[in-house]
Amino acid sequence: MEFGTIEREIFVEATPEVVFAVVSSPEHIRQWWPDEARYAPEPGSVGEIVFAERDAGGTVLDRMVVAFAVVDSRPPRLFSFRWTQPAGEAAAPGNSLLVTFDLAPKGDGTLLRMTESGFREMGWEAAVLEETYRDHVTGWDFYLPRLVPYAATLAAPSRPRS
Amino acid sequence: MSVPAAPAAASPVDDDLWSAIGDPTRRRLLDLLLTEGGGTATGLSARLPVTRQAVAKHLGVLDRAGLVHATPAGRERRYQVDDAQLARAVAQLAAVGSAWDARLRRIRRIAETIQRSQQSRAAGTDYTTED
Repeated sequence: MEFGTIEREIFVEATPEVVFAVVSSPEHIRQWWPDEARYAPEPGSVGEIVFAERDAGGTVLDRMVVAFAVVDSRPPRLFSFRWTQPAGEAAAPGNSLLVTFDLAPKGDGTLLRMTESGFREMGWEAAVLEETYRDHVTGWDFYLPRLVPYAATLAAPSRPRS
Repeated sequence: MSVPAAPAAASPVDDDLWSAIGDPTRRRLLDLLLTEGGGTATGLSARLPVTRQAVAKHLGVLDRAGLVHATPAGRERRYQVDDAQLARAVAQLAAVGSAWDARLRRIRRIAETIQRSQQSRAAGTDYTTED
């Protein structure tokens, strides 16, 4: 059972073929997400992505290796993978997050839809909360924004390039 | 540039924080405590469609997550929101969604750069052909 999904949609002025390469190939994924990526971009491939923690001068302080498994790859329409499964365990619902990129041609470009699912209930609530908090409607939404500048200063020193 | 949001958010401490804040009744409680500057289980239960016992239980969860602090008030305990811990929770919550927003913006920029360079190469080829 997987709880909740984060969904995002973005229009890209590039062909589905180009966008597919950017979201699926280890060479490109390194440009927009982890510092290192090792996997074959084909279904069933198991690999890893690596996030480096650096100090202000760019010196690597620590490396975090995260499991990564390609679930499906159908160029140029769909690419999906699982990540965050415990080392040595096969990626499956319940132990990892599932990220799916859906690509659809639109005009001169591509409509890219990203979903991330597999959040435990709290993660889902968190995602919903974030949306709610952005809506500025209820009392909860009124009080949270007061805290945001402060939260930003708290988050800043360890702000991930996430 | 350090660790990604999701694995960091999956650490035990964050789990407590997230599950504490993940419940609608507990969020309503936090909201009331923020609005009124604090409250007791009895006072809060009068404002919510739940029993005093249920409110006390929820306050206990919030307390363990560090989101509220209790001080003795007569025969009861008076709870107040811990602003710093709540701010920390808010920052983590915001990080999940905004992390993907940032990644997708980078994906768009990279793809559009590749597309433009392919088009200019194609245009260059056409020009050469015509020449």
